Amino acid sequence: MEADIRWIDNPEVFRVNQLPAHSDHEFYHTTEELLHGKSSLVQSLDGQWQFHYSINASVRPVSFYKKDFNAADFDWITVPGHIELAGYDKNHYINTMYPWEGHEFRRPAFSMEAGNTGEGSFSSASWNPVGSYLCRFDLKEGMRGMRINIRFEGVEQAMYVWLNGAFIGYAEDSFTPSEFDLSPYIEETGNILAVEVHKRSTAAFLEDQDFFRFFGIFRSVSLYARPGIHLEDMWAKPFYRVEEGVGELELELKLSCIKQGGTVRAVLQDEEGHICMEQEETIKEKMKLVSDGLGKVTPWEYGFPYLYTLLLELRDADGNIQEIVPYKIGFRTIEICGRVIFLNGRRLILNGVNRHEWSARRGRAVTEEEMDWDIRCMQRNHINAVRTCHYPNQIPWYAKCDKAGIYIMSETNLESHGSWQKMGAVEPSWNVPGSIPQWREAVLDRARTHFETFKNHVSIIFWSLGNESYVGENIKLMQDFFRQSDPTRLIHYEGVFHNRVYGDAISDVESQMYAPPGRIREYLEHNPSKPFILCEYMHNMGNSLGGLKSYMELLDQYEMYQGGFIWDFIDQALWTEDEVTGEAVLRYGGDFDDRPSDYEFSANGIVFADRTEKPAMQEVRYYYGKYR
Amino acid sequence: MANIGEKLDIIYGDATLGVRGHGFHYIFSYLTGGLESMVIQGKEWLYRTPRPTFWRASTDNDRGNGFCTSSGIWLSADMFMNCIRYEVWTDGKMEKRITAPGNNHFTGKEKARVVKAIFVYETITVPAAAVEVSYQIEETGKITVRVHYCGQNGLPELPVFGMRFVMPTKAVGYRYKGLSGETYPDRMDGAKQGVYYIRGLPVTQYLVPQDCGVHMETEWVEIYRNKTQDNSMKNTTVSGVRFSALGHKFAFSCLPFTAEELENATHQEELPLPRRTVVSILGAVRGLGGIDSWGYEPEPVYHIDAAKDINYSFQITAAE
Repeated sequence: MEADIRWIDNPEVFRVNQLPAHSDHEFYHTTEELLHGKSSLVQSLDGQWQFHYSINASVRPVSFYKKDFNAADFDWITVPGHIELAGYDKNHYINTMYPWEGHEFRRPAFSMEAGNTGEGSFSSASWNPVGSYLCRFDLKEGMRGMRINIRFEGVEQAMYVWLNGAFIGYAEDSFTPSEFDLSPYIEETGNILAVEVHKRSTAAFLEDQDFFRFFGIFRSVSLYARPGIHLEDMWAKPFYRVEEGVGELELELKLSCIKQGGTVRAVLQDEEGHICMEQEETIKEKMKLVSDGLGKVTPWEYGFPYLYTLLLELRDADGNIQEIVPYKIGFRTIEICGRVIFLNGRRLILNGVNRHEWSARRGRAVTEEEMDWDIRCMQRNHINAVRTCHYPNQIPWYAKCDKAGIYIMSETNLESHGSWQKMGAVEPSWNVPGSIPQWREAVLDRARTHFETFKNHVSIIFWSLGNESYVGENIKLMQDFFRQSDPTRLIHYEGVFHNRVYGDAISDVESQMYAPPGRIREYLEHNPSKPFILCEYMHNMGNSLGGLKSYMELLDQYEMYQGGFIWDFIDQALWTEDEVTGEAVLRYGGDFDDRPSDYEFSANGIVFADRTEKPAMQEVRYYYGKYR
Repeated sequence: MANIGEKLDIIYGDATLGVRGHGFHYIFSYLTGGLESMVIQGKEWLYRTPRPTFWRASTDNDRGNGFCTSSGIWLSADMFMNCIRYEVWTDGKMEKRITAPGNNHFTGKEKARVVKAIFVYETITVPAAAVEVSYQIEETGKITVRVHYCGQNGLPELPVFGMRFVMPTKAVGYRYKGLSGETYPDRMDGAKQGVYYIRGLPVTQYLVPQDCGVHMETEWVEIYRNKTQDNSMKNTTVSGVRFSALGHKFAFSCLPFTAEELENATHQEELPLPRRTVVSILGAVRGLGGIDSWGYEPEPVYHIDAAKDINYSFQITAAE
């Protein structure tokens, strides 16, 4: 198969040759590797790559992926990182409007009339930059001879991949991993990986989040080797029965084996090292292990995030360990009883915050140190829940929340705000994904990848279908997907608020944004059908957060009011050198000659962009502590 | 500083009123309309004559909910105003002929136990509103300031009301008894009571400079300075002045910038070099709001109705 540039115009093409999404488990080749936390089966490709920037697709170096291509005039760029922050393209912040507002006239393919296929709308645009990346690498010795996959953890916004001149695949969905099988083409040494990243594609209509609009390979890239037996996917389903305090564990495993035979041994240990479950079975491609009653278990929750360690040992027919998979799991329930959300049998109160991934130096390419700071900040201020607004976060974030006991509303990478709200008014004359058949599979794929990647994290208590994407059949189908795949968690979507036709059909909770306390009261006093949460409230732009008390008091007055998520965690601003003094200063939307812009609307955090707490945090800490 | 029993010296100038005692010397000006000089233990504490203040640098919420357009008239009222009347009272008696040439009847030996100077200001709003500020000085040098805003129908809500004291140099810090952190009427429940020392004059680093650093429910605040602008004065020891609440506690902010300087900047780095101390002793503060930043106002209880009177008082003494 050859790559086709028209895929970026076509909403029906969003993954080509991509491997199915799977759980985010780590895997080790030996027990010793597990002890040291360093897997010989993984090779990072992060670092300096060769790079060429083109203003649009027509002037890109089309044949740069070929083995004999002379890349002498390519620059060097750091992967991961945003192309804009490397200085190639303008930083641009805009809230709801699409980033081409005032520059290009665009309507989504098939949105106004069936005949509008959108062909050329991105591939022939005069301004739609392309980043052409080349990475030369040798396969590390321990991985040679094995099946090799490549994993891109986040590439914005559409990507074509080649290895050694051969086309490998195509991917969209900037915020979930994209994986491809490189085995047919990989060499032990002298490999040339070519990645062509397009700034905008039809995916842009689905990724209209309120943030700086970047592109590029902004999360890590790695190779991983699959030994003779490899755990492709795992769904560890812990069940907790609140009344008896007992647990069950069901394991659904997908394995790939080069040779027949072998065993899987599953061991579950508590934090004290006691073995709670131990099972061994013959390997099958798909298998299910069910605990035979674990007895009493210690539940996981905010303030007491008790985790069990699940260890899977995969042995070949000769009894040699091929792979070891550790995973931290927790037991908890999340359910709605009598129109109130309960977690482990107690009424849930969400003292939450929305969090964009943000670093004033690195944009959304946040580091683990920054994530750890964020977790500690949430803990010391009694923040018990985070909404991953508005896309799946970097993989380590979820395990950190499991460990810290922070509840996650895990949001699918979907926002089409500019398609249905214009000049501040609901105006859905054209909107996506709506009920347009040609946009259905793209959003379902986003839901699936999101779910499959993160399904094992105990901290996730809500799947959120996306943010501010209006309503239609396609959103409903996303909900159906989550409902069928995972009956153990709740489903969240706010967009039905703007069109009540789907009010009963979508979302387990009544979720609103920025509703004043009086409007919440009104809802709760008129025979409400669902518990109420605020997926965004207390807009902390600049010096704000006045009146938190009035929301917190609703928790005392209405059992069905269950809290919300402050907007938001951290100001989005960028360290920039002052053009007058040369000093490092924080700049925001519009400061880069980027127009149109929404300027300082990017800065609504309860912490400043440099990760110092705003004075308002004192109030958050007090009330979130009082109502913990 | 107290020298109980020693009466105040009064200097009836042609255009000013000097009031002197042991360790202090104050000058009221009929030209600038208020307290032009406040020297305590040899150090000048005023850069310009203090005036009522009606404006806070717009917060993002103020901009978003249209408050700065609906109440923007108070910005000009804050910058420009007229002093329309003044009075001088000694020991409970109003002095009649106090400016030239009427003051020729004085001898230079006048003394009193209590001197009171009253200044009345008229805002440039339409309709105008009046503010009466009285300074009562006792033999100890203690100044009791009584501020009365006369409510006026037909005016938009106020962002803030108080007195603004600009000091000639930047303070080294301030200490206050009140609430921890930056507090506002609708964001102060999380604060703890205590005595807090703030080093320097920090400006909260909001991305767009805006009103900041307000401390609600304050019993007293002391401002400490070491530098003066007096070319003959080599002494740079730290000394302080104290503002104490009288009756109800006040709110204050102590920043190196005026509301207008903050208002003008779109980034922190555009603010001028901090070189003075701007102390606002506030009798009323509008809430911040927070429901959203594009429409909702602060809850009604946190608005300041310009049709209603505002009265508050405080005292100025040397720091303890």
